[in-house]
This record gives sequence, structure tokens and C-alpha cells, in this order.
Amino acid sequence: MLERIYFWFVLVAGVTASVAPAYGQSTNLIAAGKKEGKAVVYGSLESDAADKAFSAFKSKSGIDVEYWRASATKVMDRALSEYRAGKPLFDIILTNDNPMQIMFKEGLFAKYDSPSAKEFTKESIDPNLGPRYRNVVIGVVYNKEIIKPADAPKTLEDIVKPQYRGKLVMPDPTQHTTTTQWVASLDKLMGKEKADKFIRDLAAQKPILVESLLPAVERVATGETPVAITYIKYVYSLGQKGAPLDYVRLGKFMGDGHYLGLGNKAPHPNAAKAFIDYFLGAENMAIIAKLGEFVNRKGIYPPLPDADKVQFVEMHDLDSKQFAEKKKEYQQIFLR
Amino acid sequence: MSADERALAVEPPLTSAWSRSRIGSFLSQPISWVFLIVGGIIAFLSLYPTFFLFYGSLTDAPLGVPGHFTVQNYVRAYSDPEAYPLLLNSFIFGIGASGLSVIFALALAWITIRTNAPFRRIFELTAIIPNILPPILVSISWVMLLNPSNGLINGLFVKFLGMEKGPFNIYSLPGLIFVESLILTPLAFLIVAAALKSMDPSMEESAKTLGSNEFGVMRRITFPLIRPAILAAGTLNFVRAVESFDTPAIIALPARIEVFTTKIWREALGSFPTNHNLAAAYGVGILAVALVFVYLYRRFTSQVESFSTVTGKGFRPHQIDLGPWRYGASGIALLLLVMLVVLPILVLTLVAILPYYHVPTWETWHRLTLDHFRYVWVTPRVHKAFVNSLFLALVGATVCMVLASLASYITVRTKIAARGVIEGLVFIPWAFPGTAMALGLLWAYVDFPIPVYATIWIILIAYVTRFLPYGLRAVTSTIIQVHKELEEASIVCGAGFVATFRRVLIPMMRPGVIAGWIILVTIFMREFSATLFLYSPGSEPLGPLLYFLYLDGMRGRVAAIGLVISVISVILIAIAQRYSRWESN
Repeated sequence: MLERIYFWFVLVAGVTASVAPAYGQSTNLIAAGKKEGKAVVYGSLESDAADKAFSAFKSKSGIDVEYWRASATKVMDRALSEYRAGKPLFDIILTNDNPMQIMFKEGLFAKYDSPSAKEFTKESIDPNLGPRYRNVVIGVVYNKEIIKPADAPKTLEDIVKPQYRGKLVMPDPTQHTTTTQWVASLDKLMGKEKADKFIRDLAAQKPILVESLLPAVERVATGETPVAITYIKYVYSLGQKGAPLDYVRLGKFMGDGHYLGLGNKAPHPNAAKAFIDYFLGAENMAIIAKLGEFVNRKGIYPPLPDADKVQFVEMHDLDSKQFAEKKKEYQQIFLR
Repeated sequence: MSADERALAVEPPLTSAWSRSRIGSFLSQPISWVFLIVGGIIAFLSLYPTFFLFYGSLTDAPLGVPGHFTVQNYVRAYSDPEAYPLLLNSFIFGIGASGLSVIFALALAWITIRTNAPFRRIFELTAIIPNILPPILVSISWVMLLNPSNGLINGLFVKFLGMEKGPFNIYSLPGLIFVESLILTPLAFLIVAAALKSMDPSMEESAKTLGSNEFGVMRRITFPLIRPAILAAGTLNFVRAVESFDTPAIIALPARIEVFTTKIWREALGSFPTNHNLAAAYGVGILAVALVFVYLYRRFTSQVESFSTVTGKGFRPHQIDLGPWRYGASGIALLLLVMLVVLPILVLTLVAILPYYHVPTWETWHRLTLDHFRYVWVTPRVHKAFVNSLFLALVGATVCMVLASLASYITVRTKIAARGVIEGLVFIPWAFPGTAMALGLLWAYVDFPIPVYATIWIILIAYVTRFLPYGLRAVTSTIIQVHKELEEASIVCGAGFVATFRRVLIPMMRPGVIAGWIILVTIFMREFSATLFLYSPGSEPLGPLLYFLYLDGMRGRVAAIGLVISVISVILIAIAQRYSRWESN
């Protein structure tokens, strides 16, 4: 009998000891966060994913999250304007790499080592911004009712073959920043010489140019244009609604990393820290992955066919001068 | 002291006494106080954010960061030789879209107001609906209808006429002009319709008595009389088209047609990070062009008396009996409304009941869903956005029209020396591109001593600042038609300024005031470019909500909310028109 009591005592003590630091910290943070009432997030995370994450956090902690959603550039504009005016209303910024680095350099963020960050691989931890919680992956998506999978392109180079001339849609690389970055980073996939030739061949295909990545895939879903350069996650999100989409298994895919940062003048710092802990935690990462996102957790994949075979290659970081130069260069190539 | 010195010595007291008496006499009139208060409010609303944008255009650092004075932003914006052919493109686009919109509006207004065409009341009520729909949705609807690959209308031609290829290509300059003109028509319709309603029929009757036929009356009497309203609508729509980015982004970009706004987007607003200083320099250029148009408009309308048609003799615009042609007139109005309302609404309805956005096939019938409407019904965030937008629309439009009526009266009716400045001030914030102005508003109010930033009041201030010109144009085009003899009679009878304004001018201006109020309500229900930078999560109106849903690819939800907004706006318009008629009775 004593042995049994001893066994249970050791088990409970062991489990308590293993979870106590994180649990204890979260409990204190949540109590302090509840007193603050809410956390305010400015970000570019899609509304559906954001709503799911916020409501799950609220049901766990009782803390509300208010969200201001805009494009990454607008998020940065507003956050910087408020910060410089000395009236930041945000607690957390949630957006992609380049604007996050600029805001970091402007001193917008406070250092916060979330216990949940330990679950991420070393390669996905940025020294300034912490864990890269998701990758948005750009590839080639096609309408499988118009192009049979057997006839679909197999490699990136295939889309510049004559049979796809006039059948390709992509965001305008002279206007859309992520696409400028993607075209400028092609050397990472195929080497500089091949990339230069590919870019010229791509322009010669006279692709239909649209304003961003979503209108590109929408044209594929409607059948207006059968092939697009766009985010491959749309294959899942639009496929759920019945759109006949698939993506080309390129092996290596380029894309952008996303981070979240705690404002150094956050009006609700404890609620914000509690939210960061939850957001980077396994439960939330699984929720976001289920919506089609590539999160940086081992073994957690989006419900997209062959998602586990996607090898992510991060695009080059370009500064404002490089962006301007590349846009000018692509104007000569794509708009002539 | 010499005689000259003595003369000089006594001069100042005399001048100051004379000035004091002039100021005293100026301030003794109630209209002077109205001028000072209205002018002060408008000057503040207009100049405060504009100052920040001018400052931004002349510095090399964003606001809040110490920078250096520079003209480099102007050099960069205007030394690029590629910019000038684009200006020509923008000019052709602006003239084409505004001209076509005025032609559509004029035809529709004349048929619905001055003729006995059947169903004209229904046509009149529905003509405003396109102004309620976010322009981006109208553009997308037309892409679905007229794209050369699988546009629905092109598809019908291929299927039923056996054509190899559909005859229309939306991705062209005519396609761009056509879609933008449809977006701009409701605004022109409201302004022209208000002027037609205020017309005195006696001149037309005199012309007929002298032997002129209906066409001659229209050409020689009706058209010249409503010329200020036509010009007002044309001016507003020209600047609106030149500034528009949504339609060019959706139609011009795939067609590889570049206009000035797409260039501003690439060089400044869409660059990374956004170059606000360069955007402000571009904005100042557009402002200069817009002010030239305001000046031209004012010159044209300076001979106010020649357009005065509403006199003390009582008026009721007479209806032209078209005989058997009335059915033809209804047919033309119906065709216009099919293009303006029916087709876009049908496409929107389709998008709202489809699980995702695609060209319908027979299989589509099995996929129809009401999920998007359910989302509108059950989501508290949507309900809150509706409440916020209704508040902003009703209060904002009313405040705007009160200010616009007073400003219009001062500009058109008084001889106060600085009255023309008010109109110029009103137009300044409107002449900047929407996003640049929104940024000016953010910079201006983020650190404002009264804590309005991040409340619903800042959005209200932004709406009044940016959209006052719409109200002003609508009232001005009506007030210049009201002859002074009515006010003079009121004053001779002993009524003061307030009584004359309330009892004589407001009833006479009512068509213009109601038209302006309706324009503003429909714009405020869906505005987002200024709102986006200024709202805080607790005060989210419908515009940003629609924008975010659109950004996230939820076209079905956007269409469902758009349709609900349309229904609410039509109800508000019907109430406003009924109230207008009830007051007249």
C-alpha cells in the first residue's frame, strides 16, 4: 500500500515539476492580463486564422483580443506612425519578415523570450524576432479541370514552354512587393545564369499581370486563366469550397517567413505576453496548420497533399533601394 | 515736425479708427459670424492635415522623425519622362469616363424627371444603387461578364450566335472607361437630377409658345439651364476618375495600360517601405490640377444670375408628354439600369450564394449555399460594423450637408471678399489621392491635443473633411438656380438672416441638399481608404470589414454584406425622398 502511495506521489510530483515553470508563469500572466482586459494586435494574418486563434485563446484565458488587420505595409505604416508620435495603441505586431525587421530596427519591439519558443527548431529562430512561426509558400497552381494532371507542368521551367503562352497569371512584379522579391530570389533555386534566362522567358510568355497573389489564384479557380504563380495554400483553402485546384510539386519552394513581436510600449504587456505564449504553443500551431498554413513545428503539416515534401527556401531580404532597382529592372523586362 | 511728418503722425489713428469701424460693421451682421465660424471650421479641417502632407513632400524623413528640407521628392516625381505619357493616358481615361457618366446620367435624369415614361419612379430610386456598391466589386462583376476568356456575356454570344470568340474585351481602354463611367454615373445622376427638379418651366413654356418643338426646347433652354450642374458633375467625376486606383488595378493592369495612379502606386504607395514623402509630392501635383478645374468651374458659374430659374412665381417642372415614344424612353432607362444595377447585382448575388467565386455551370446548382448570409446574420463583428457605419453615415452626412449649405450660401450669395477661399479650401483634401490623404489625417490627429484618435469621432472628422465637396457641389448647383428676389422679398418683409435661410433658402435648396445627403450616406456606408488608417479595433465600420474580407479572398461574404448594405441604403434613400416630398407638401 505504501509503495502504491509512494508511486503516485512520485508521479504527481514529477509531472508537476515538469510543467510547473511554464504553467506557473502562464497563470500569473493570465491573471495580470485579465486585469488589463485585452490585448491589441495589428497584423496581416488572414481573418479566419486570426479569429480561430483569438477565440481559442479567449476560451483558455478569458482575455479578449482586438485585431486590426491590414496588408503588411499598412500594418508597418500605422505602427510606425503611432510609435513615432508616442501613442502606440498596439501590444503585438503579427506580420512577415521584411517589415518586422524594419520595425525592429526602429526600436518598436521589446525582448520577450516566450517559453513556447523553445519548441521551434534552431533554424527557425531569428536572433532579433524570435521564432518564425509560419512560412507562406509560393509555387505554381493550376486548374485541374482545364489542365489534366498528366499534362500539367512538372517544373518551374515548364511554365515558360510554348503551350502555356497566354495561359499564365501572376502578380505584377513591378507593383507587388512579394512577387518582386520572389522573382529576385529565383537564383536561390536555379542559380544566377538560369534564373536570368528564366525571368526573360517568363516575361516573353506575356503572363496576365494582376495586383496580388489572391486575384491570381481566383482567375485560376474561375477558369479564366488556367495556371498561376501564387501561394500553394490556396489549393487547400479554395479546394475546401470545391475549386478544382492542384499545385506543381517543385520540391523546393520559395516563400516568406512570418513573426510576431511584443511592442516595447505595449499598453497591455501581460495580456500580450500571455497571448504570445499561447499563439506560439503547439495547440495554436495545430489550429493554424489545419487551415492550410505551413507552421514551423516538426510533424505538423497543413492538410495539403504532399505537404511534408515541401522544402522551404526563404527569399532574399531586399532593402528599399534594392526593391526600387528590381522594380525598375522588371519594368523593362515585363512591361515592354 | 514738417507738415508731411504731421500728416504721417495722424494717419495711423485715423486708419485704425476706420478699420475698427469697418470691422465693427462687418461683425454687426449675422452672416459675417456665420462666415467666420463656417470658414474657421472648414479651414481647420482642410488645412491641418494638408499642412502635414505639404511638410511631408518637402522633407526626406517620415513624420515624427527629424528630417531635412528637400525638393528631391518633387524632382523625382516630375523629372521622369515616362510620367508624361501616363498623364495623357489618365487624361483620356478621366475625360472618357466622366463624359460617358454625364451622358448616362443626363439621359436617365431627363427620362425619369421630365418625361411621362412609364416606371420612371422606380428607375429614379434604383439609379443610386451603384453608388452603394464598393467600386472594386463593380469592376470585378464586369470582369466576370466581359472578360475575353470566359466572360458570361461573351459566352452567350459564343453559345447562341455561334461566334468563335466573344466580341467584348474588358481589358482595353474602352473597357476601362466603360466600367469607370458606370461607377461614376450615380453621382452625376444625383447632381443633374437635383438641377432638373429645381427648374422653372416658364422659360420652356415660353419657347414652346414661340413655336419651338420639344427637341429645340431641350437644346436651347433645358440644356443651357442645367449646364452648371452638368459641369459640376463632370468636374467631380473627372477628378474622381483620374484619382481612381481600383478599376485601373483590376482592368488596366492585365491590359498593360498604365495610368498615373498605377505609377504613383508603384513608385510611392506600393513601394516597400511606402515612400510617403514621394506620395505627398505626387499628391500636391494632383491637387494643383484639381484646383485648376475648380477655378475653371467657378469662372463658368460666375454669372450666377443668368442661370437663376427658380423665382418667386412658384414652379413645378412640367412633364413632357412623349406620346408613344415614352415606351422607348423607358426602354433606354431600363437598358442603362440593367448595366448600372441589374447585371452587377446579379453577379454579386451569384457570388454571394456560391461557395467560391467561379463561372456557373449546371453543377453549380448543387453547390449553392446561404452560408455567406448566415455569416452576416450570426457574426457580432458584422452587427457592430453595421451600427458604426449607420451612425457615421447618418450623422456624418447631416453634419456635412449643414456645413455645405452654409458654405454654398456664403460662396454664391454673399459679397464677402474672401468667400471664394472657402470653396478652394473645401476642395484641397479631396484633391489628394485617398491613401495619401488618409495618411495626412493620421499624422494630423494621432497627436492631436483632444483625444479623438482611435475613436469613432476621428472617422467622422475624416469623412466630413474628405467628402464635403460632394455636398457642396450638390447644393451649389441648386442654389445658383434660385433667384435672389425670394431672399430680397424675405428681407424686405423684416426677416433676418436665420429666418430667411431657414424659411426661404433651405426649402428651395432641398433637392440639392437631399441629393447631397444621399450621395454622402451611400459613400459613408462603405468608405474604407480613409477609415482604414483611423479606426481602432473597437470602432470598425463596414468599409474596413469589407476590405479585410476581400483581402482574405472571402468574396462571398463581401458580396452578401454588399447586398445587405444596398438594401439598407435603398430604405434610407426612400425615406429621404419621401421626407423631401412630405416637406414640399
